[in-house]
Amino acid sequence: MNAIVFLVPVALGLAGIFLYLFLRAVKDGQFDDLDDPPRRILQDD
Amino acid sequence: MNTSSCPHCGALVEGSEPSFCCAGCEAADAIIRGAGLERYYTERTEPAPRPSGLDGGWDAIPVETGTDGLCRMGLTIDGMRCASCVWVTEHVLQGTEGVREAHVSYGSGRATIAWDPSVVSLSDVAGRVATLGYTPRVLGQEGRPDRDLLMRLGVAAFAAANVMMFAAARYAGWLGGMAPRFEALFGWLSLALATPVALWCAAPFFAGALAGLRARVLHMDVPIALAVTVLYVHGVLGTIRGSDTYLDSMTMLVALLLTGRVVEGRERRRAAEAAVTLAASLPATARRVRGSRIEVVAADALRPGDQVVVGPGDEIPADGTVESGDGLVRMAHLTGESAPLAVDQGDPVWAGTVLIDGGLGVRVTEPGDQTMVHRMADQVRAAADREARPTSLDRLAPWVTATTLAVAAAALVVWWLAVGLSSALPVMVSVLVVACPCALALSRPLCAAAGLGAAARRGVLVRSADAFLDLATVDQVGLDKTGTVTVGDLDIVSADDATLRVAAGLERFSPHPVAGAVLREAAARNIPLPVARGIVEEAGVGVSGVVDGRQWRLASAGAGRIALHDDRGGTSFLNLGDSVRSDSADGVRALEAVGLEVHLLSGDDEGVARAVARRTGISAAMGGMLPEAKVEWVTAREAEGRRVLFVGDGVNDAPALAAASVGVAMGGGVASTIMVSDAVLVGGSIRPLASAVLASRIAHRQIRISQTASLAYNVVAVGAAAAGWVNPLVAAVLMSVSSFLVLWGASRVEPRVRAAEKRVRGAHRPGRVHDSAPVAVAA
Repeated sequence: MNAIVFLVPVALGLAGIFLYLFLRAVKDGQFDDLDDPPRRILQDD
Repeated sequence: MNTSSCPHCGALVEGSEPSFCCAGCEAADAIIRGAGLERYYTERTEPAPRPSGLDGGWDAIPVETGTDGLCRMGLTIDGMRCASCVWVTEHVLQGTEGVREAHVSYGSGRATIAWDPSVVSLSDVAGRVATLGYTPRVLGQEGRPDRDLLMRLGVAAFAAANVMMFAAARYAGWLGGMAPRFEALFGWLSLALATPVALWCAAPFFAGALAGLRARVLHMDVPIALAVTVLYVHGVLGTIRGSDTYLDSMTMLVALLLTGRVVEGRERRRAAEAAVTLAASLPATARRVRGSRIEVVAADALRPGDQVVVGPGDEIPADGTVESGDGLVRMAHLTGESAPLAVDQGDPVWAGTVLIDGGLGVRVTEPGDQTMVHRMADQVRAAADREARPTSLDRLAPWVTATTLAVAAAALVVWWLAVGLSSALPVMVSVLVVACPCALALSRPLCAAAGLGAAARRGVLVRSADAFLDLATVDQVGLDKTGTVTVGDLDIVSADDATLRVAAGLERFSPHPVAGAVLREAAARNIPLPVARGIVEEAGVGVSGVVDGRQWRLASAGAGRIALHDDRGGTSFLNLGDSVRSDSADGVRALEAVGLEVHLLSGDDEGVARAVARRTGISAAMGGMLPEAKVEWVTAREAEGRRVLFVGDGVNDAPALAAASVGVAMGGGVASTIMVSDAVLVGGSIRPLASAVLASRIAHRQIRISQTASLAYNVVAVGAAAAGWVNPLVAAVLMSVSSFLVLWGASRVEPRVRAAEKRVRGAHRPGRVHDSAPVAVAA
């Protein structure tokens, strides 16, 4: 059961990375407009 | 006969060689080809609209220059019907000199632009868009996505999920036993995760509660902030002592409530993006007579006694009196009257009205903010400053808070006296946990957002959740005539095809508003435009030219009538007027089907109002209503205890819109009208209004059900907690069950609206009883 002492921080750390990525995505404005980009890829420039 | 179509807008033109139908299309084509964007013509799936030029007033829009020396602004662009339209608009904007950034959104038709004001002006940029045939409008308010709230939600959800994992392990430990060191580890980790949730994620609720307390109101944020505080402090103490905590409930509570806020914010933003036009704003410039010269000055610089000249198509820059010349003035924005008014020497004219035909010398009497348009706008602003109404939930909040505190205190005292302080404190905390009005606070934003979304999908953008929920309480509808039930634009209401064909040929290259009406009608009847030669246009007199080898002359023949004279002394007429929108009758029927009383209020005379009412199936019509009379009608109804929904589009309707329980403006109407209204009809049709009312009623019912259920739950749960039956596991389960019931209820709003619409339509299937074809309503 002592494995938990290591596994819990590892799991939290992994989840933390995802949280960090999410926060960065929000800051970059990736969630500002959810309707437009999916249509834009259909139009080649 | 050979026909071809205009390469730009697709209008039919006589002759086998493709030729442009008008100068506007030719200019649009030149811009597109000049920018190397010919691909647009092969890739588009819809023809472009016919360019009609830019409305005035763009120079008067205040723009701020940013620190980088660029101006930024959001626009909405009407008329874009396919992906290629968006593509060509974006590229033309990007290729405009002085424009640094341009981004046009496919979904919403919104454009964001950044430009260098020293190189190009906003009116030039907007003019490029207008030249292409699309209509740019300034965004009423740029909806700024709330990134901050989304980040708080992300952190809260992350913490809640992990704290719940630890909590689940501890709950499982009650059955099988758990090593104390793991229990301590999980406890401290939970606290570490819960701390940012309580201190940072929940900050908006604390701020709201503080603001409420400072204003001496106990609104819903107060019990929420109280619960978060108590749970967190209890959690800190519990972790130190190694006893039970409610940190899982706390993090979940914050995450759920933030979800409600994010959803609400998203819907509200969508509604706030309703476009605003600039029609009745004062023209930025005026042509002032100085001795023998004419100088162009800012309209604001005009003084009483100045003389200005006004040409055909110009907006009149100030209130004044006609000193010389005569002409036809379109007053619709100001008085709601659709027929153009003939003015002659000595007649008064008002700022914001448009000279359709003729030429005037005007002596200014009231310039700038003394004009009638301005005074009306002031009146409107005063009416819009009315106090915000408290919602039913806000009235409930003090009771919920007071009752919770009373029960918690009572539980503390009773348990203290009966058992002792060590048992009394956990009981008090559990009372505060289960009494937290999470479901109560969630139901309103979620159901309102679901209803707002349902209304928005049908073309009714409502400004706020409050206004949306007010729709359900309405029992009377007042409809303005011009521009609401009718198109409100100058239109050809009667003319035979042969006359129309010749007139269209003569007017092909004219920027005159009458020309627009003639060409629209010709396109609607699929009449190919004939080739005209030797066209001579004389301002204020008319236009003449050769069609089919004969000489014709088109001239005004009094208000609302144009005469086409041929070279043999024959004359035929085209009647101008306003036509009933094709779906107005449907809209009225739907409103009556949902149980609303519909009234028509018109600035035109009684006969015209009656004719329109007959066509649309409205039983009560009133004519000759001045703006003040409309306000009086609304306030009289409201004083009787009725709740009025008023729909209008002109400046003259703005005071009535502000006075009504719910004011609804037509999309594409006048800026000040849209600003005071609670909702905007995007498609320019009253048809979806009934659906919005249904959506509001359904959302109302859903909120009532959710709130009743959650209150009942609170009463039972608080009782159980006071009796000492609630532990952290029970609290967590109770909270999730009640919250998900609320979520489920909100998700039922859209299907219920659809079902209700079907019922309403089914009850009124008999269909097209009323003639929906355009009719002459003004001679």
